[in-house]
Amino acid sequence: MIENSGIPTLVIGTALDIMQKVRPPRAVFVDHPVGRTFGPPHDRQRNLTVLRKALAELPLFIGPGEIRDIGCQWQNDGSRAWEDELRAEMLRDR
Amino acid sequence: MPFDYLPVMAEVSAPKPPRTLVAPSNLGWSAIKKPVGASRVALLSSAALRLANQQPFTPREDLSYRLVPSDLDVGEIVIDHHSGIGRVPRQDPEIVFPRTALAELAKDGTIASVSPIHVSFMGGLRCHKEIETDLAPGIAKELQNAAVDLALLVPY
Repeated sequence: MIENSGIPTLVIGTALDIMQKVRPPRAVFVDHPVGRTFGPPHDRQRNLTVLRKALAELPLFIGPGEIRDIGCQWQNDGSRAWEDELRAEMLRDR
Repeated sequence: MPFDYLPVMAEVSAPKPPRTLVAPSNLGWSAIKKPVGASRVALLSSAALRLANQQPFTPREDLSYRLVPSDLDVGEIVIDHHSGIGRVPRQDPEIVFPRTALAELAKDGTIASVSPIHVSFMGGLRCHKEIETDLAPGIAKELQNAAVDLALLVPY
């Protein structure tokens, strides 16, 4: 909708399954927990790294609805241990 | 395998039915007109965030938005979104609203400039029609007034 006003948008999102359903015009996937898109609190270097990677992807989009993985993982060793903590955090909201 | 959010969101909603995800009625597409290095960039956040001295968002169906100055010295950022995942981003809103990182990228020439204003609104609204007819056009107008070339939307 913003795009219809002539301003291109880039979604920088952590929820791939949701982005695949709502199909933003242009999106990059950051494999971090939701609510921590740009890294852990107070990690300015990580904030910059994610933002740089997202912007670097911009010229590569060809058409609407594309989602590009910019290769950002929460933990360097690829551990998914954060998923259990996130699930518990989300369920506390019930 | 990426984390599957939808099943957990359905559990959070239960016994109410899960949230319906709605794609826009018109999938817009505006071509990138300028290289990133020549662009003025704004942040859009669905975290319902604001300056501490701005009017708070009301829970749930609040269709308003806040203009958050990009000046880093204007004051503390508050997150009003009701989601249970707020504990961590409230420690450091920059992890969902990277104003400082964007300012750094303007300094080093990665982008041309930062928009004088960023925009935040309430994510997870269920009034989809009003998002299209009221909220999104209002935000688009603000971005046009600020001569923004590129908007980065960070879902919350």
